[in-house]
Amino acid sequence: MATIEVQRQLLPILDSPNQGARFYNPELPSSEPFVPGHRTCAGCGPSIQYRMTSKAAGDNTILVGPTGCMYVANSSYLCTPYNVPWAHTQIGSAGSFTAGVAAAYEAMIRKGKWKGAFPNIICEAGDGSASDIGLASISGALYRNHDCLIICYDNEQYANTGIQASSRTPYGGMTTFSPPGPEVPEGKKLFPKDLARMMAAGHPHCYVATASVGYPIDLMNKVRKGLNHKGAAYLMVYTPCQKGFVYETPRSIDLGRLVVECGLYPMWEWNPEKRAFDYSFRPASMRPVSEYLKLQGRFGHLHAEHIATLQKFANEQWRMMGVALPEALIHATDAKNLVNMAAAAEAEAVAQTL
Amino acid sequence: MSTKGTRIPERLQIPFAGITPAPSQEKGQDLFPTGNWRSIRPVYRDKLPPCNNACGTNEKIQGYLDLVKRGKYLDAYALIKEDMPFPSVTGRVCYHPCEQACNRGKYDEAISIRAVERFLGDLGQALTHDVVKAGKSNGKKVAVVGSGPAGHSAAYQLARLGYTVTILEKSPKAGGLNRGGIPDWVLPQNVLDREIERLEQLGVTIKTNVEVGKDVTWDDLKKNYDACVLAVGLTEPNSVRAEGENKDGVLYGLPFLRDIGMGTSKVKLGARVAVIGGGNTAIDCAREALRQGAVEVTMITVEANPQEMPAVPEDLHDMREEGVDLMHGRAVTAVLGNGKVEALQLHPARFSGAINASPITVDRDAAAQRFAVDNVIIAVGQRASLKWLPDEFKTERGTIKIDRFGRLGDTNIFAAGDIVQLGSGQPLMVVNAVGDGKRVAFNLDKVMRGEALQPRTIAVDVIFDLNRMNMTYFPHFPRVQQELLPPASRKKTQDEVIQAFTEEAAVEEANRCFSCGTCNACDNCYLVCPEPCIARSERSNGMYKILVDYCKGCRVCIEECPTGCLEGVPELDFDTGVVRMDTAFAISPGLHGRQAEELRNLGDRAAKNI
Repeated sequence: MATIEVQRQLLPILDSPNQGARFYNPELPSSEPFVPGHRTCAGCGPSIQYRMTSKAAGDNTILVGPTGCMYVANSSYLCTPYNVPWAHTQIGSAGSFTAGVAAAYEAMIRKGKWKGAFPNIICEAGDGSASDIGLASISGALYRNHDCLIICYDNEQYANTGIQASSRTPYGGMTTFSPPGPEVPEGKKLFPKDLARMMAAGHPHCYVATASVGYPIDLMNKVRKGLNHKGAAYLMVYTPCQKGFVYETPRSIDLGRLVVECGLYPMWEWNPEKRAFDYSFRPASMRPVSEYLKLQGRFGHLHAEHIATLQKFANEQWRMMGVALPEALIHATDAKNLVNMAAAAEAEAVAQTL
Repeated sequence: MSTKGTRIPERLQIPFAGITPAPSQEKGQDLFPTGNWRSIRPVYRDKLPPCNNACGTNEKIQGYLDLVKRGKYLDAYALIKEDMPFPSVTGRVCYHPCEQACNRGKYDEAISIRAVERFLGDLGQALTHDVVKAGKSNGKKVAVVGSGPAGHSAAYQLARLGYTVTILEKSPKAGGLNRGGIPDWVLPQNVLDREIERLEQLGVTIKTNVEVGKDVTWDDLKKNYDACVLAVGLTEPNSVRAEGENKDGVLYGLPFLRDIGMGTSKVKLGARVAVIGGGNTAIDCAREALRQGAVEVTMITVEANPQEMPAVPEDLHDMREEGVDLMHGRAVTAVLGNGKVEALQLHPARFSGAINASPITVDRDAAAQRFAVDNVIIAVGQRASLKWLPDEFKTERGTIKIDRFGRLGDTNIFAAGDIVQLGSGQPLMVVNAVGDGKRVAFNLDKVMRGEALQPRTIAVDVIFDLNRMNMTYFPHFPRVQQELLPPASRKKTQDEVIQAFTEEAAVEEANRCFSCGTCNACDNCYLVCPEPCIARSERSNGMYKILVDYCKGCRVCIEECPTGCLEGVPELDFDTGVVRMDTAFAISPGLHGRQAEELRNLGDRAAKNI
C-alpha cells in the first residue's frame, strides 16, 4: 500500500514580547474563528482562552465542545459564535468524540476524500469534563494518540450549573458544594487533582503543558506546539471565572498572572521526545499566595492557618519547579507570621461573644 | 453554528428559528447584541505624555520614539521636523527638559531622548533632499531679525506656511547663538552649516553682515516687509560691577565663545584662568578655556554648593572630570593688577534669592582674599541691546514688550526668543527659543490672514501618575548610555565629547518608552478582550474600534492597557447612539428585528419552484 502524504499545517511560533524592553505584541493572525455575540459573563476567563486558542489555530480548525460553560452559554438556540465547524458532545464523551473526528479525517485522507491540510482538531473541555466525568474518554484519546489537541479550560469548578466543586477546586475554595461553616471552616478540605501531571505521566508520548490566560503569547504558542505535535496533545489552561471566584471583572488577566506568580499554578511543558518536564518558564516576580487570595470572594472565609497551608502547597510547587525559595515565602508558611489574621479557634470565640 | 461549506437552499436563507446564518467578524453572532449589559464603556482617549508637555517646542517625542522602535526612521524624522527645524542641533545641545519629565525616571532611568533625537537628526542630515517642502507662496514678505534658534525656527515655519522670508543677521555667518554660544566640541560647525543650508533650500534668504539699527532702520523694516519677527537675542554681557573690570585680560563669556565660534578670536589665554559665574555658559567657558591652552581653570560662584548652581548636572560632572576646580560662596569685588589682570579680590558672598537688582549679598567686612590669575572670564548672564527700538516697545528690564501672542502692540511685528523670555521665569534654552519662534510664526500667519489669535492652550491631561498605566508590562531595563571621549583626550581638541548612538542603541532606547497615555498599537486590548469585540482593520495607532453592540463592559481591556490610553466612561455620559432602558432587549434590534421584518414580508414573495 502506498504511503499517503498527510499535509500538515505547521503553525509558526510567535515571539514572546515579555522578554523585550517594551510591551508590543507580535503580529497576530487576522482570522477570527470566535466572534462576539455570545452570552458568557462579562470578563469571562474561559472565553478569553477560547478566543486566544482559536486565533492561534486559525481557520482550518474543527472545535469540539463537550458540555460546559463554553457550550451552554455560547450555543443557545443553535446560535453559536464559532466561525469554524463546531460540534457539541456529551460531557463524558469529550475524548471519544474528538478521537472520532480525528480518525474520520485520517480515514478520509487515506481514501483520498479530503485533499486539504489536516485540520486542527481541538476539544475544549471544562475541568468538570476533563478531570471528573470525561477523564476516562480523554485518557483513551490520548492513549490511542489521535492527532488532536485536548484543552482543559480550568475554571476550577462546575460553573454553568451554578458553582459546584470539581476535583480541580483548590483547597479552601468556596462553592455551593463546599460551603464553609463551623465544622469545616476552610470550605474545601481536599487539594486539587494534579490533572496535567497525571496526563503527562500516564501518556508520555503526548505533548502536555499548562498555561494561563495571564500569559497570552505563551498560551498561543503552547496551542501551536500542541497542534504541530504529531499525535495527541493536552493543554491545561487557567481561566478565572468571575462568578465563581467572586472578583471584579477587570481582574481576569491579572489573576491569570498572579496565580502563576504566587506558585499556585506552575507552568511547565512535557517534552515527549526527551520524556522530560521543562520547568524553564519563570514569572516576572514571586509573591505570597495571600496576594492572589485576597482578590477573590471565594477565599474570603479563610483563616491564617488555611492561608499558611496554601502557602506550603505553593512552596512545594516552587520546589518542584526547581526554584530557590526566598525567605519571605518560607516565613509565610507559619500562620503566626500572617499578621492581622485571626486563627480559626479565636475567630470562633469572637463570633460567640458577639 | 457555522454553516460554512454547507449548501443552504435559498428558501432557507431567511433566518428563522433553527437556521441561522454563519457568524462573521464584521457582524458577530448578531442574534445576541450583548451591549446593553454594560454600564461602563471603554474609550480610547490619548493623553499628553509628560515629555511632549515639557518640551519647549512640544515635539511629539512619544510619537517619534514609537516610530523608531518600529524602524520607521524617516517617518520619525519627518515627525520631529514638524516642530523642530534642526534636530541634529538640539540632539546635541538641548538641556532635555523632556528627560527630566520622563515617567520612566520614576521607574528606573529616564529615556535618553536627546540621543535618539540626535540619531534622527544625523539621519536627516545624510539625506540628499530634506523631507520638508516650502509652502505655496502667498506673496507676502517677512523679515526675521536674527538667525539664532528663535529666528531660525520662525523663518522655517513661515517658509513652510508660504511666506517669502529674509533673515537679517549682523554677524558674518548665520547661526546666532547656535554658532556663537555653543562650543564646537558640543556642536560641530559643519552640522550647523548643513541645517542652515537646509533652511536656504526652503527659499529663505539669509543676509549676513546686516545689523538692524545700523544698516537697516526700524522704519525700513516696517516699510519693506509685510511683517517682521524680532529674534535678536541677548547680546551684551553683564558685568560683575567690580573695580578695575576694564583691565586687559578680562574677558566676557559669550563674546569669548562667539569669537571662537565665528573664527575671529585673537585671545591667547594664560596658564591660570578664573571663570566667574555658575551657569551653563560659565561651564562652557571653563571647558573651552582648557581647550584654548589654560592649564589651571577655577570656577568662582556665589552659590554655596554645586547643587544650587543653575547648571545641568551632567555638564557639571563632565567639566569636573576634565579638571576644572570649583570655588563656592565667593564674589569678585575688584580686579587687581597694573594695566593687566594679575589677581582677583574675593569676598564671601551668598545668593539671597531676592528678585531685585542685586540678588547677591556680599560680606565686605570679612577679610578679602587674593586669588592670582592670568585671565578672567566673566559669564554672569547677558542683556539686550535695543537702542534702535522705539521706547514704547521696551520693558523696564530692557527687553521687548509683547502681548501674550508675542506681538508688539497692534503692529505686524512679533518678537521671539531670549529677548522676550528673559525674566519670564523660563530657563533660556535653545529649545524654548525654538518653541517661541514656532508659536510666533503661527500667530503671525493668523494675523496676516485676519484670523483671531488663540491663546496658547494648557494641556489638561498630562499623564504623570504611573498608577494610570499597567506597569506589569514593563520590565526594568537600564538606560543606554552615550559614550564620551575620555577626559584626558578632550583637552586641546575640538572633537565632539558626546558620541552618537548606533542604530541598535537608538532602537533599544526607543523600546524603553512607556508611550505614556497614548495608544501605540501594542494589540494588547485586541488580544485580551473576552468577546472579542475589539476590532482592527489594520494595526495602527488609534485604529482599534470597540463594537459597542457587543461590549459587555467587563473593563479587562482598560485594566490591561499598558499605556493607560483606554479609560472607562459611564454609559449615561453618552447622550447619543445609546438608548438604555427604553428597549427591552438590546441597544440595536440586531438580527431579531431584521428577521421579524423579513418574516412579515414573506407572504408578499412569489412562490418558488423548489
